[in-house]
Amino acid sequence: MDILIYGIINSVSLALMAIGFTLVYGISRLPNFAHGALYVITGFLVWSLIHLLKLNYVLSIVLALLIMGLLGAAIYRFVLIRVRGMATSEIIATYALGLAILEFLRWGGFKGMTYTLPVFIEGSVNIGGIPVDLQRIIVITIGVVVVAFMWLFTHFNKTGLALRGMAQDEHAAMMLGIDSDWMAVVAMGMGSMLAGIAAIALLPLGNIVVEAGYNVLVLSIAVCIVGGLGSWVGAILAAFMIGFLQIITVAYIQSHFHMVVAILAIIITLILKPSGFFGKQKELEERV
Amino acid sequence: MKRAFIVSILLLLVIFSVPSLSSAQKPIVLGAPLPTAFLYGWTAEKGLKLAVDEINAAGGVTVGREKRPFKVEVMDTRDLEPVVPVSDALLVLEKLILEKNADFIVGGPARSEAALAAMDLLSKYKKVSILTTGALSPAYHRRVEAEYDKFKYCFRISGEVGWLVAGEFVPKLVDIKAKLGLSRLFIMVQDVAHARGAGDLTGKLAKEKGWEVIGTEIYPTGTTDFSVGLLKARRENAQVILIVMDMPESSVLLKQWFDMKIPALPFGTIIAAAEQPGFWRATEGKGEFCMASVVNAGNAPSRATPWTMKFVEAYTKKYGLEPEGYGTSSSYMAPYVLKDAIERAGSLDSDAVITAIEKTDLMGVYGRIKVHPKSHQVIPSIDPNEGAVGTIFQWQAGKRVVVYPPKIAMGEIKLPPWMKK
Repeated sequence: MDILIYGIINSVSLALMAIGFTLVYGISRLPNFAHGALYVITGFLVWSLIHLLKLNYVLSIVLALLIMGLLGAAIYRFVLIRVRGMATSEIIATYALGLAILEFLRWGGFKGMTYTLPVFIEGSVNIGGIPVDLQRIIVITIGVVVVAFMWLFTHFNKTGLALRGMAQDEHAAMMLGIDSDWMAVVAMGMGSMLAGIAAIALLPLGNIVVEAGYNVLVLSIAVCIVGGLGSWVGAILAAFMIGFLQIITVAYIQSHFHMVVAILAIIITLILKPSGFFGKQKELEERV
Repeated sequence: MKRAFIVSILLLLVIFSVPSLSSAQKPIVLGAPLPTAFLYGWTAEKGLKLAVDEINAAGGVTVGREKRPFKVEVMDTRDLEPVVPVSDALLVLEKLILEKNADFIVGGPARSEAALAAMDLLSKYKKVSILTTGALSPAYHRRVEAEYDKFKYCFRISGEVGWLVAGEFVPKLVDIKAKLGLSRLFIMVQDVAHARGAGDLTGKLAKEKGWEVIGTEIYPTGTTDFSVGLLKARRENAQVILIVMDMPESSVLLKQWFDMKIPALPFGTIIAAAEQPGFWRATEGKGEFCMASVVNAGNAPSRATPWTMKFVEAYTKKYGLEPEGYGTSSSYMAPYVLKDAIERAGSLDSDAVITAIEKTDLMGVYGRIKVHPKSHQVIPSIDPNEGAVGTIFQWQAGKRVVVYPPKIAMGEIKLPPWMKK
């Protein structure tokens, strides 16, 4: 029972971390290596709004998400647009941006273990005799809501449909009048907001540290590679596969190998099926 | 008019001659290679600077017939980062010696692996070094003892894991068993050399003292979910969870422990997250009942020696919060140990200073500071009049209450309500 409960929690956490990364890649083919840094900066942003500007928690979250959306859009508009289409330059530019953000935070004094966000609701419940704190239940709820929202958005909203069109065939979408750069701006903005949502859901479970940026990036990449770069369905499936495997490893083998699971999954995927579960390069419609 | 002009010129001469007088006092440069973004780095930096300010304000260091001030040069080694960049730490150390012209090295490197690698450089450049933070590996002083002529430049006035386990953690476990009747131990350690070593040794010695070790979990650095391990501990009826982790994510472990109401006392022998005064607010009180070692007395308030609270108050006044954890009091003492040795040696010559440090006998912040003449490790004790004492505290109602060693204890261990029968 504990494996089922904590397996689901771990999987949804991974899916939340990775969904922003996969959205940006799916739409604009940009591997956003600054994703982990955007996750961390959201945490420090909310913390600063609460503790320095004395805003309430909900307002701080809303403001932080808006700022993250604008930041993501600005990163594309002012930096990535210049290197779009040059895969190596995109990786170098986004990774450098991520490093710059994380090191800037460290330089700005955001170091130590005492930066935390409050949990949404205090307390815990017993599910089949297994204690689970309410914040983790909220993480699952947020995960489900985010996935449902993204599905509805890309199926019933004009901008969402345009994003899908971009993901399926960029040139065809452009022929229909969809502005490729504008869609990439929207995708980066939304991807940053999704990184922010993951941070807001997950950071109250622990503390906000700069180093988390690297961990989140590695896990997001693992999920996206296993699922197939740019595929939401694949990312969610991979998150559940890696999430459950990690928990089973801790329960039956040794917690020591917990992090190895994600790395091993990348290696096995690259050997056996380099495009991942749903990353068939010729079947672009599967990406959204 | 002419007289006024001459007086003005004379006054200007006097004014401009003051800096040239002070610049004649060439400072003694203390190079500090520290991971400044990590607790054990910035605590050391603050401790060092506080001591240097105090010493300089009191006139500096007497070297022969002249008074010279200390000057601290801190450079970031980043050696506590997950990938343990030893080579970066060594480059920083070499830079301090060659570019900053450090006369002595104090503080780090903080990660044992980097500190051990730095010994050869210190030997190459014949630089006396006093290690005061981070590195707890017994290999450090064993190497000095084994190859004294080569590594005689290396001293350590903070703790080491051999004593911490045998002299503090296990005796405290014996005390817990006797007073609280707890005897089932579950070990959770971080996957780094010192933590695995400390976990293994504590488990082995605890068994010899009648404890039942019912499980060991090793977590990679960066782990953010400990639920399955905690459930294992609960299933096996653990009564004490021994934690050895210096990663920030250890606060997640404590939050989960509290939320899941695991009926086992968390004993953080090394748990960096719980050391800091801000831990209470950061965990919104969920760190209550957690025990933690800060290695040396003075890193949390106590009355170990008359100097301890004087130091705590001076630190609090300067930085606005109490000493934050391991590395603070020992780094604060390093300039005082050096000052004492340099004044007795009468010069900055490495061999003369080494001989003088070997004869150090100073009542400091965490007890009597004397080093073993062959291993250059500070002599530990549970009595501050005999040697350097450690500190194990428990978080109780937002305060760090010292519970070990008995001579400096300020309270008794309390159990969480869900552990009381």
